[in-house]
Amino acid sequence: MRDATYQKFLHRWEQVTDLPPQTVGPFTPYYKRAVKRLKVMPWPVLVGISLIGAIGLYMVLGSTITLIASLLQRGF
Amino acid sequence: MDIAGSLLTGGIAFVQNIVGIVFRPYETYRRLVARRSLWELVYLGAFLAGYFALASVVKTSAFRPFLLTRQFVVLAAGAGATYLGAVGMIWVIGKKLGGKGTLAGVMVGWGYTLVPTLVWFFATSLLYVVLPPPRTTIAAGIVFSIVYLIFSATLFWWKLILAYLTLRFGLRLDLQRIAIVALAAVPVVAVYSVGMYWLGIFRVPFL
Repeated sequence: MRDATYQKFLHRWEQVTDLPPQTVGPFTPYYKRAVKRLKVMPWPVLVGISLIGAIGLYMVLGSTITLIASLLQRGF
Repeated sequence: MDIAGSLLTGGIAFVQNIVGIVFRPYETYRRLVARRSLWELVYLGAFLAGYFALASVVKTSAFRPFLLTRQFVVLAAGAGATYLGAVGMIWVIGKKLGGKGTLAGVMVGWGYTLVPTLVWFFATSLLYVVLPPPRTTIAAGIVFSIVYLIFSATLFWWKLILAYLTLRFGLRLDLQRIAIVALAAVPVVAVYSVGMYWLGIFRVPFL
């Protein structure tokens, strides 16, 4: 039983340490904080960014936003 | 393992991975690239074929077998060529930048990035039938446009995350080199997109 648990731990350890951690110089702590939210259940962040983007686009373009939606709808 | 066994195992892994890339993309990608089972792509291919069949009906607007078959073949060939081209380009540029990994890993990783693409194209095709464009500038039209843009952008970000994870785990590249691959790919993708548009295959690139 202990061997099996140890093997499982070892496998997981190898998996995690397989790739060197990503660093971005002085911005590493901010990068880690941002990425943490995207690794598991990223949808709240993705929808939030998209919502802000779409509303921002509406504030800039006004009703012309419907033109972009129409173009995309013909895009398939 | 025989073909039926491999297909069954691939099918189970495909379902697990689809759920995984929705809720735990990072961990799932590490696992699926390490396993690099090309059998899983068979199921993805089946879903793509289903979409191309639907899109052929919507685009052709006529139940003529010849036209429908031609449209299906054009869409499938266009998407297939795009997939192989994208994998080839990622592989060549990634290797030149010192990437380590297997081609099968990149193929499986990039294959799963087609899931958001497929969801967007499928939803857009259905919406084209249910709420055909153009959108009006009244309140309902604007609200729909905003919701549709949020939906499209969300899937685009998801796609970007999966593409990043393909390069991260498939070629073991760091963020800087992934950015270089992306920058190198932009002009190629731009030319490809214009080509697909002029050929009338995809207006939005099926990447």
